[in-house]
Amino acid sequence: MLTHTIAAIATALSNSGISIIRISGKDSLNIINKIFKTSYKIEPNHIVYGKIMKDHEVLDHVLVSYFKSPKSYTGEDVCEINCHGGNEITKEILELVLESGAILAEPGEFSKRAFLNGKMDLSQAEAVINLINAKTKTESRIASKNMEGNLSKKVRELREELIELLAHIEVSVDYPEYDYDEVKNRNVIHLIDKKRDEINDILKTYEHGRIIKEGVNVAILGKPNVGKSSLLNKLANYNKAIVTDIPGTTRDIVEETINIDDIVFNISDTAGIRDTNDIIEKIGVEKSLSMLDEVDFVIYMLNAEEKIDKDDIEILSKIQNKGIKYITVINKMDKIKKSNFDAILNELKQIGVEETIEISIQEDRGIDKLKNAIVKIFHQNDFDFEHELIITNSRHKDLLKKALNYLEEARNEINNGQPIDIVSIYIKKVANTLGEIIGSNVSQDIIDKIFEKFCVGK
Amino acid sequence: MDYSLGYYDVIVIGAGHAGCEAALASSRLGKKTAVFVINLDTLANMPCNPSIGGTSKGHLVREIDALGGEMAKNADKTFLQSKMLNMSKGPAVHSLRVQSDRRMYHIEMKKTMENQKNLDIYQAEIVKILVEDGKVIGVKTKIGANVYAKSIVVATGTYLKGKVIIGEVSYESGPDGVFPANDLSQNLLDIGVELRRFKTGTPARVNINTMDLSKMEEQFGDEKIVPFSFENEGNEEIKHKKQISCYLTYTNKDTHKIIMDNLDRSPIYTDNKEMKLKSTGPRYCPSIEDKVVRFHDKERHQLFIEPLGAKTSEMYIQGMSSSLPEEVQIQMYRTVPGLENAKMMRPAYAIEYDCIDSTNLKLSLEYKGIEGLFFAGQVNGSSGYEEAAAQGIMAGINAVRKIDNLEPLILDRSEAYIGVLIDDLVTKGTNEPYRMMTSRSEYRLMLRQDNADLRLTPKGHEIGLISDERYKKFLGKKELINREVERLKNTIIKPSVEVNQVLERYHSSPLSTGIKLSELLKRSELNYQNLVEIDKDRQELPDSVVEEAEIEIKYEGYIKLQLEQIEEFKKLENKKLTADIDYEQIKGLSLEARQKLNRQKPLSVGQASRISGVSPADISVLLIYLTQSK
Repeated sequence: MLTHTIAAIATALSNSGISIIRISGKDSLNIINKIFKTSYKIEPNHIVYGKIMKDHEVLDHVLVSYFKSPKSYTGEDVCEINCHGGNEITKEILELVLESGAILAEPGEFSKRAFLNGKMDLSQAEAVINLINAKTKTESRIASKNMEGNLSKKVRELREELIELLAHIEVSVDYPEYDYDEVKNRNVIHLIDKKRDEINDILKTYEHGRIIKEGVNVAILGKPNVGKSSLLNKLANYNKAIVTDIPGTTRDIVEETINIDDIVFNISDTAGIRDTNDIIEKIGVEKSLSMLDEVDFVIYMLNAEEKIDKDDIEILSKIQNKGIKYITVINKMDKIKKSNFDAILNELKQIGVEETIEISIQEDRGIDKLKNAIVKIFHQNDFDFEHELIITNSRHKDLLKKALNYLEEARNEINNGQPIDIVSIYIKKVANTLGEIIGSNVSQDIIDKIFEKFCVGK
Repeated sequence: MDYSLGYYDVIVIGAGHAGCEAALASSRLGKKTAVFVINLDTLANMPCNPSIGGTSKGHLVREIDALGGEMAKNADKTFLQSKMLNMSKGPAVHSLRVQSDRRMYHIEMKKTMENQKNLDIYQAEIVKILVEDGKVIGVKTKIGANVYAKSIVVATGTYLKGKVIIGEVSYESGPDGVFPANDLSQNLLDIGVELRRFKTGTPARVNINTMDLSKMEEQFGDEKIVPFSFENEGNEEIKHKKQISCYLTYTNKDTHKIIMDNLDRSPIYTDNKEMKLKSTGPRYCPSIEDKVVRFHDKERHQLFIEPLGAKTSEMYIQGMSSSLPEEVQIQMYRTVPGLENAKMMRPAYAIEYDCIDSTNLKLSLEYKGIEGLFFAGQVNGSSGYEEAAAQGIMAGINAVRKIDNLEPLILDRSEAYIGVLIDDLVTKGTNEPYRMMTSRSEYRLMLRQDNADLRLTPKGHEIGLISDERYKKFLGKKELINREVERLKNTIIKPSVEVNQVLERYHSSPLSTGIKLSELLKRSELNYQNLVEIDKDRQELPDSVVEEAEIEIKYEGYIKLQLEQIEEFKKLENKKLTADIDYEQIKGLSLEARQKLNRQKPLSVGQASRISGVSPADISVLLIYLTQSK
C-alpha cells in the first residue's frame, strides 16, 4: 500500500502561464534527479531553478520545489515542477516523469494520501474538493472555512443535546424503578423542534451555497435573432457563439461561465425561437419551456423593432408562474420605433412585467445597467461569510435532510403514542446521520463516494 | 505430597454463577468435567442482592436458557417474587426480574449439578494452573492433588486475593466470609496473565422483625407471572405461586448528615493514604456515600428492602451499599423511616479482588497466548450474576469446542446481549466492573427477552445443549407464531356498526372501508387483547405465541429499520482482518490505534471500530488499506 510514487498535473489544463506537475512518494526525489539538471542543491522547502532534460535535450526551464516527508501536502516526499504552461509541454514533462518511475495519480489520489497519512480529516478532505473547484473568492472562503472544521463544529453542537436526551431516555429504560425525572414528551418535542429549526437554518444556506459553488444557472430566452448570443458574448467579453444576422445560427445550447461581481453565472443560450416555420417554432417554445426546470434565472430578450407575440407571452407567463427570477431585456434600442416600443411596454404591463432594461448590444449601451440589475438580484448581503456556516456539499445536504426526516418520524412516533424507547430509535438515527457528516459513523459507501469525487491535482 | 486425582476433559475453577453454567455446559456436551470450589456451601451463592434478572440482565437469563443453560430454570424453581419491568415502555425493554430465595437457589443448583452425568464436584482451592508449551494441562489443589484436563475455565469471581473493607478495618476474605483464593493470583502472573484490581460492594442485611413495615411502601409482584425459562411456558404452578413482598423506604437529610460527618472514615473518601482504596468501583452501583457526595442536591435516596429467603428474616437493603465503619452504618439506619430500631445482621462491606484485563481474551473467552485457558465471570471484570452466567455458558461451550477442534461459538452484537457483553469486554475493555444495560445494545428491538428462543435455540440445538424434544417443541411454537401472523395479515375486517362501536370504545377511528386486522393491530390504541370482539375467527393460543405475533406486527416498521442497521453492521463485521497485519506499517493510523490494533488483533474492521482509541478516521484508513492491498 502507498508504495508507488504518483504524479499528475496539479494545475488545470489550460493555456495559463505556469503549470505544476506534482510527484508524491518515496521515489519523488530520485525521479527529479533523473530528469532535472541544476547547479543548485535541492533542499526541503526550497525552490531551485534548472532544466528538464530529455535525451540530452532541454525540454523546459523550470522551478522545482521539494517537500520532505512528513512535512508535505500528502505527508510523503513531494516534488513539484513549475513548468511553462501550455498543454503540450506540460504533458511531455509529465510523460517523462512517468517514464522515470512514477505512476499516473488516480483522481483524488493526492488528497487520499493526505487523508491516509493523517494530514486531514474527512470533512477537511471534502472541503478540498470544493476548494479545487472554487470559481470565486467567496466560494474558496467557504471551502477553507469548512476545511478548518466550521461544519464539524456546528454538527457536533447539533448532536450534543440529542445525545444528552438519549442518555436521559436510556437512564429511564435501564433504571425504571429509580426516581429520576421522567423524560417528558413535551420536552422531547421541544428539542426535536429546536433541532429541526437549526437543521433547516443550515439547509437554507445550501441553496445559497450551491449558487456560490456552482453558480447561478441562467437561460437567455427570446425569439430568434433577438440578440441572445450577442448578449452572451457581451457578458462573457469574447466571441464564443457564432453570431450572424441569419435567424437560427445558434445551433445548439452554448454554455458560458462568467463571473460578475464575485457571483458565477452559468449562461446557456438556446437555439432561438424561429418564426418562419410552425413546426420548429413549436419545438423552440417547448425547448424554452423545458429549460425553465433547470434554471435559477432567465434573461428574457425582446426586440425593440418587433412586436411582442403569443410565444413571448406564453413563456413569460410560465416564468412568472414558476416563480423564477427574471429580467426582461429589450434589445436593439438603436433601431427603436417609438410606437412599437410603447406597444411592447403596454403588453408587458398587462402580464405584470413592470420593469425592463433597455439595451443596444450593437452600440454597447445598457450592458452595465443590465449587469447591475442582475447582481442586485443575486447579491445577498445578509450573509456574513466570515462567521456563518454555508453548506455547499450535496452529501451534507442529503444527510441533513435525512436527519430532518428522522426528527419528523420521532415526532410522529410521540404523537402516535409510542413509548419513549421506540422514539429513541429515531433520535439515535438523527444523531448517527449527523455523525456521518463529520465521519463519526463508518460506512464504506461514504468513503467511496468522497474519493470518487476528488479530482486530479489536489 | 502431590498425587494425581485423575484426568478430565474440562476443569472449571469456581462454582459461582459462571462456574456452574460452564461446568453444566461442558458435561452436558459429553465432556468429562470437574468443578472446584473453595466451599461447596457457596455453590451458586448470591453474595449480593437476592435477585435474578432486571433490565437487560433478564434478557441475558433468557438467552442463557435459549442456549440450554440452567440459570432461568433454577430461578423459576426458587423465586419469591416476579416482576416484568418497564411495561409502560416498548417490548424491547421489558425485563423480567425475580427475587430469589438465596439458600434455595444454592440448594437447587447444587442438586442439579450433583445429578449431572459427566460432572464431578470437588471442594478444593486451586493454587496452580499447569501450563506446558503454552498449553494448559491441568491444575493443582492446595492439598497437592494434580488434576489434568485439556481445557480449563477460570471462574474465580471476587475470590482472587479478596479483601473485605469495612471502614478502617480490612482483612483478607472472599464474599460472605468465605476464604479468599490467595495463591492462584501469583500463579496466574507466573504463567503470563496480566492482573488488575477491581472493587465492588454490598449493603447490610437487616432483620425484618426489627423493622416497622407500616412506615414503608409495600412492593408487590406481578399478578400474572411470566416464567424465566422457555421450558416453563404455560407452567400453572409457577403462574400461581404465592409471592413475598418487598418494601420501599427512603434516606433523608439526617442520614446524609451522618454520612457527610463521617466521610473521612470512608476508605474511598478518606485523605488517609494508608487507608485509601485505589481500586476501581462501578459507577452504576454507587455506595450511599457516593450518592450523597455526587448528588448532593437530592434530598432522599430510595432504599428497597428485599427478602433473602422464605425461611429467613434477613432482608437485603438495596441502595445502602457502603464501606463506612459498622457503627456509622448503624447510626445511618436509625434515621431511616421503618428502620429506626432495625438490627443489622451483616454489615455492608466493600470487596477488592484481582481480575484480568478482558481485552487479553479472544471472543471465544480463551486467553490469548495460553491454549485452552478460558476465563468467565467477574474475574473478567464484569459484575452481576447474569453477566457471569452468560460468560460461563459460552466459556463452557467453547472449552469443549476447543477440544473437539471446532470453531468457537461466537454470538455477534446483532444476535444476542451475550454477544454485546462479550464483545464489549473483549473488544472495548472495561475500567470498572462491567454491568449489562439495554442501552449498550445497538439492536435492542431485535434482542428482546421474549424472542430469545427464536434467536438462539436453533444454535443451542446445533451445538448440542438443546434436546431434540425441546427443539421440536420450539419449532412447533415458531410455526404457530408464523401462522398467526399470516392470519392477522390476511384477515380483512369490514366496516359495520358493531365493529365501529368497538373501535370507538378504544378511541380508535371508525372504519369506512375494509382493513386488514394487522393494520388495526398497528394502531397504538389497539392491541391483540382488545381486538377480540372484532376478531371472530381467533383461536386460543399460548400467551407466548400471541405476544410474539403481536410484537412482530405492531413493530414491523421498527423491526425492518433495525434489520437494515444490522445489515450495515454486518458489512463491516464481514471485512476480516488477518492476524499478520502489522498496523505499525499503516502510516495513516493514529499512534494509539496502531498500538491497540497490534495488541488486540481484531478479527474484523467492525470489531476494530469498537476498540477504544480507534477513531472513525482510523477505520477509514483501514478500509482503504484493505481495498488497496487486495
